[in-house]
Amino acid sequence: MPKTKEQLSKTIPEGTTWEVELKQVGFVRRLFMARRWYGADWWFVAISAVGVLAFIIVAIFPGLFAPFSPDALVGPSFLAPGAQVDLPVLVVPVKSSINKLADLAVPPGAARPTVAVVEGHPTAGALNEQAQKIDEVIKDQPKGLRLRPIIDRYPTLAGTLQAVINGTDMLAVVQMTEYSAVKAQFPTLREAATITGVTSTAGGFILGTNDIGQDVLSRLLWGTRIALIIGFSSSIVSLVIGVPLGLMAGFVGGTFDRLLSLLMDSLYAFPGLILAIAITAVLGPSILNIIIAISVLYIPTYYRIVRGQTLSVKEEVYIEAAKSIGARSLEILQRYIFPNVIPSVAIIFSVNVADAILTGAGLSFLGLGLPPTLADWGIDVARGQRFIQTAWWMITFPGLAIMLIVLAFTLMGEGLTEIFNPKLRDR
Amino acid sequence: MSDDILYSIRNLTVEYKTRGGAVRAVDNVSLDIRRGEILGLVGESGCGKSTLGKALMRLHDGPASIPAGELWFDGRNLMDLPLREMTDIRGAEIGMVFQDPMTSLNPVQRILDHLTETIHTHEPETSDKAARARAEELAERLGIRRERLKEYPHQMSGGMRQRVMISLALALRAKLVIADEPTTSLDVIVEAKFLDLLKELQKEFGLTILLITHNIGVVAEAADRVAVMYAAKMAEVGTAQDVFIDPKHPYTQGLLKSVPNIKLDSADLYKMGGQPPSLLHPPSGCRFHPRCPFVMDVCRDKEPAFEPVAGDHLASCWLYQTQVANQVVGDQEVQNG
Repeated sequence: MPKTKEQLSKTIPEGTTWEVELKQVGFVRRLFMARRWYGADWWFVAISAVGVLAFIIVAIFPGLFAPFSPDALVGPSFLAPGAQVDLPVLVVPVKSSINKLADLAVPPGAARPTVAVVEGHPTAGALNEQAQKIDEVIKDQPKGLRLRPIIDRYPTLAGTLQAVINGTDMLAVVQMTEYSAVKAQFPTLREAATITGVTSTAGGFILGTNDIGQDVLSRLLWGTRIALIIGFSSSIVSLVIGVPLGLMAGFVGGTFDRLLSLLMDSLYAFPGLILAIAITAVLGPSILNIIIAISVLYIPTYYRIVRGQTLSVKEEVYIEAAKSIGARSLEILQRYIFPNVIPSVAIIFSVNVADAILTGAGLSFLGLGLPPTLADWGIDVARGQRFIQTAWWMITFPGLAIMLIVLAFTLMGEGLTEIFNPKLRDR
Repeated sequence: MSDDILYSIRNLTVEYKTRGGAVRAVDNVSLDIRRGEILGLVGESGCGKSTLGKALMRLHDGPASIPAGELWFDGRNLMDLPLREMTDIRGAEIGMVFQDPMTSLNPVQRILDHLTETIHTHEPETSDKAARARAEELAERLGIRRERLKEYPHQMSGGMRQRVMISLALALRAKLVIADEPTTSLDVIVEAKFLDLLKELQKEFGLTILLITHNIGVVAEAADRVAVMYAAKMAEVGTAQDVFIDPKHPYTQGLLKSVPNIKLDSADLYKMGGQPPSLLHPPSGCRFHPRCPFVMDVCRDKEPAFEPVAGDHLASCWLYQTQVANQVVGDQEVQNG
């Protein structure tokens, strides 16, 4: 027997609502339900748009933000994030004209410069190595200068520095940390430079250095440029090809549509990364080829969406009305169908850029996409993978960067979908 | 063909291909539309009146085709024209107003752009300024304020949109406007205003209007002549006065009786028996015979011709053809006797 209204109202206590009160739930649940309760779509878009904008600005002017050049070997290998830099430094008398290691070079036959070091410290080895490097370069130059310092070893740091003060040696090479501890006791000496020639390591390396002494942060910032170039160009290329094809196939229909759809579906059937790998393997590594490979991958996405939209818009009465005022097919396509299709294309584009960046990083991770000298996140992740146990920062930060950029673009795309598509709202 | 006929439809057949076979939505229909008149085309849903309206502009597509018939418009047979010339005629000489004004305007285009684009499509040499001036003048004439032209379709009411549709048809001084159920989605007051507007335009521009509707009231109010369709065939054509006061075809009689009237009790409302026939398997002979109260043997076997019953009044019904025949026989008997 069906219950009467009165009976029903008795089973449910008065004032009960199906929605849980906002004040009664915890933080995690609030976060999950943010979209529904706060109408959060717009701030999803706002936050992600700020993120996207930041990435774009960094990609345009990486030099403004990056402390070093991405390729320069600026520090010791495997320096942990924020760790104190401890390079061998040149310590010279205050009045000395020597400012870097190369200043010690002399013509052949002249007296070789003498350098004081502390016995048993690795500084002597580092000095020799660096001096040989410079010597290799300068000996073939017209002046024919050579850099072959004579190394004097002293048992203590104080003795080493004293030898410079006495004039026995022209300069001393000591560890930076050790020198700064005793700096105040030797007012007649000054720190000229590190032996690698880097004068400013102020602030250190925020995200550490990699295996060959490059700054991880600088490579990260410069890598943004490559990531965005790949993401945007390949998305634009596939948009420019996929959208007109979809429009034509949807509008013309018939055999043309069937054949094109068959082609696109077969492209779609390949696992994305594998198809891209095959294409780059054939074309060879370069930015252009990676863009081509990824574009081919995403043409079917645009094609399918646009074709479907065209098919439904084509049946609208206003298209028939356009025909009745004598509009030709091309005009109908341009003026009536295209503007009605473009909002969904804009949304896929945003998600697509994220996808393309991910695929690009995947390709260069596999060593297929880009020349290994470029500052690219995929390459950095691949390189960091080898040292994951000794230098976690090498793989973590490029990985985080990929994740963040993909998240920003995806959130923006999804948020735009929710805002532009009223059917998805209030779900 | 006399000069006062603008559009002459001769033996037009329109077929839809379906899985069950070809369906003739318009079957061997002939109809004349005279210059400067409002011709009301009435019939039940699915009787083929909208298909006929679209076929007049050759707007049929997809599964529809015209296997036979001639469409004489202003001295040309439209069936002989190539598609390119046909698109030139659409909009410029024949305009169309659709049933649902909510969906028949492009949602992403401003009203003004709709109008200027129509002008540019057919007269590419017109300057933007001239096209805009013409659009504004026309809109003003139709009671659309100048500032509203900058709005998008969704910002306008149904009545306003229908005015926009009419102005699109008039933008190039079309000679014939085919209005396919233009008032179905409008409320009664807007409908009345719209019909008044149609009548004004007819007088002012010498416009010819084919008013397709299932609403007898609309036809009674606006039309000069009335054509009644039943099951893809023309049942009766005559002046509005003739058809409404002295309907000849039993279907028309039934149709007029089944219009609700406030003076009647609801129980008194006439309901026509039976169902409209399937066009896939139409009844033999006269298509109305299964529902006809005056059915005769001949109706089941042979199709009646579409013939004049009195002067300008045509109908396809054996009732009158036998009467005519009887009369002839009677006359002969009188002569012989």
